[in-house]
Amino acid sequence: MSGLSTEPRRLHPLTPVAQAGRVAPPAFFGLAIVAGGDLPGGPLLRALLLALMALAIVAVVAGFAYVSWTRTTFWFDDDGDLRIASGLFQRQERRVQLSRLQAVDVVQPIVARLVGLAELKPEVAGGESGKVSLAFLGEADAQELRNELLARAAGIRTGDQEAAPVAPERVLVRVPPGDLALSLLISESLIAGVLIAVVVVGVTFFTEGAAAIGLLIAVAAPILSTINGFLANYDFTVAESPDGLRLRRGLLTTRSQTVPPGRVQAVEISQPLLWRRYGWVRVRVNIAGYGGGDQAEGESSLLLPVAPVVVANAILARVLPGVEVERVPLEPVPPAARRRAWLQYPRLAAGYDDTVFVARTGRLVRKISLIPHVRTQSVRITQGPWQRSLGLASVHVDSTPGPVTVTAAHRTLEDATQMAAAQAARATAARLVAPPERWMTERMQRLVASRRPPETNLDEERAGAS
Amino acid sequence: MGYDRELIRAGERPEPGGWIAVSPKLATARRLVAGAVIGVLSVVVMVGLAFTPMPWLALVALLVGVGIISWSWWLIGRQVAATAYSERTDDLVVRSGILFHRTVLVPYGRMQLVDVTSGPVDRRFGIASVQLHTAAATTDATIPGVPAEDAARLRDHLAALGEARSAGL
Repeated sequence: MSGLSTEPRRLHPLTPVAQAGRVAPPAFFGLAIVAGGDLPGGPLLRALLLALMALAIVAVVAGFAYVSWTRTTFWFDDDGDLRIASGLFQRQERRVQLSRLQAVDVVQPIVARLVGLAELKPEVAGGESGKVSLAFLGEADAQELRNELLARAAGIRTGDQEAAPVAPERVLVRVPPGDLALSLLISESLIAGVLIAVVVVGVTFFTEGAAAIGLLIAVAAPILSTINGFLANYDFTVAESPDGLRLRRGLLTTRSQTVPPGRVQAVEISQPLLWRRYGWVRVRVNIAGYGGGDQAEGESSLLLPVAPVVVANAILARVLPGVEVERVPLEPVPPAARRRAWLQYPRLAAGYDDTVFVARTGRLVRKISLIPHVRTQSVRITQGPWQRSLGLASVHVDSTPGPVTVTAAHRTLEDATQMAAAQAARATAARLVAPPERWMTERMQRLVASRRPPETNLDEERAGAS
Repeated sequence: MGYDRELIRAGERPEPGGWIAVSPKLATARRLVAGAVIGVLSVVVMVGLAFTPMPWLALVALLVGVGIISWSWWLIGRQVAATAYSERTDDLVVRSGILFHRTVLVPYGRMQLVDVTSGPVDRRFGIASVQLHTAAATTDATIPGVPAEDAARLRDHLAALGEARSAGL
């Protein structure tokens, strides 16, 4: 696979193997649970029978995967956009409009990694009709195609022969596994999960109810999600490269995301109660195209699973240049808000500066949400009956779907009205001077202007490109 | 954005930034639908109850049905009266709700598409619903009960404004 090739290409020939390998463990254990008890013979014979049955299922899946592989091709069309044709009986051809490219993910499940394959997922804004994915490509091909996509989205078109230049990268942060493990053990979701489990176990114990399944789920769910969080975010690395921020993470399934500049729609910095003594925070972002969907998507919206505040602020400065969250002047809410939100009251505040709107909420889990004026989609004022009796209203600054919501809660009605109108006006004004969608031109100018790399205040991990 | 401002009646051209009320036909249409649904349900329940050992329960059902219909009659009137929109210089504003007030401001440059929908009942009354979509799923800016010709004009106007000011996400 070299450079710009308009010839239709196939996925990697080992694709059916990797696809089938994915279903092997669940097939085996699924069968063991469903049919394990009914099989004749000793334990060895049973295991052998189960393995044979699982193998049959795997063979069928491999067969389908092979047929689908023969029918799947991809190429760059005359407009320079990526096209993917697939389907056995119902052929479909999809076009990935690269000017709307929001991020590119390279995912390697454990089986694919063993045979040197990778899945490439270009994330495009407004892609409600299912995700586009190229599964699987060879590792090197996936990297090359990713660079190609990013280069094209940036407005660079490579010649027919040469491959897209590999953007040099610099590691900014690497989350130590120990920090990650500890942060997950004292995170709000695990504590809430444990509390729920304790209640469920207690109720079951005293009522002697036979809800064994409920018991199992209540106990297993928080444990599994914690383990999953550790596996998914193991060795979380944030690196910077000219074509965007690179995020790599994962122990078994590894995931590498590239988020081009200006693609972050909103940011949330949160700090659960027990993280405070370590000075840790978590950073989540909204990126158009990721949506708010399944869990893997939720993981994709994580910019930093855990990091000291200074590091988080430095990373924030990379995604939203010129923003210093601690410098943004915030206005507290009126005393009447205490009666509506007694716990959150001292923390509730909102404000803005030249580039972002900031809302602060949460007492137990402290949260600060930021949305650039340029990324403001719409502004809403809501007022429930309780709020009305206290003369309060909330302002919501709408962002694209994702984990981050920006709400200036419980302001006075006049304040909320004025704030919403002003934010809508700032959104309109900011768009008039918004930078172009194809960011490379601007980047080049900046590069030429200053030969030196931008200064970083992150002491750790100054290691060069990998 | 107070809720006590004077409204301009639907169809009249307001000064820029003035609130435009939705058509009173929206109330009629909604009352018709609500009345039909609740009426049919009440009749079914009444007939059912008339054959039980306590047929007088049918009378109770009748009273309850009438009660619900008159309550929704009143509620729909208030809901429709609370719904209005305003075409300002840089954004469109839609407000609605009695118990839960909502006001949404959509800058014209952020509109991704404008939907005009009109169901069979809506068409019978010559009204349509105009919905604005942005890249945010939470925007939810729907103006129900816009007179059909107004809706078409509004759609074209908004589309033109959106085109002129749009700049990606």
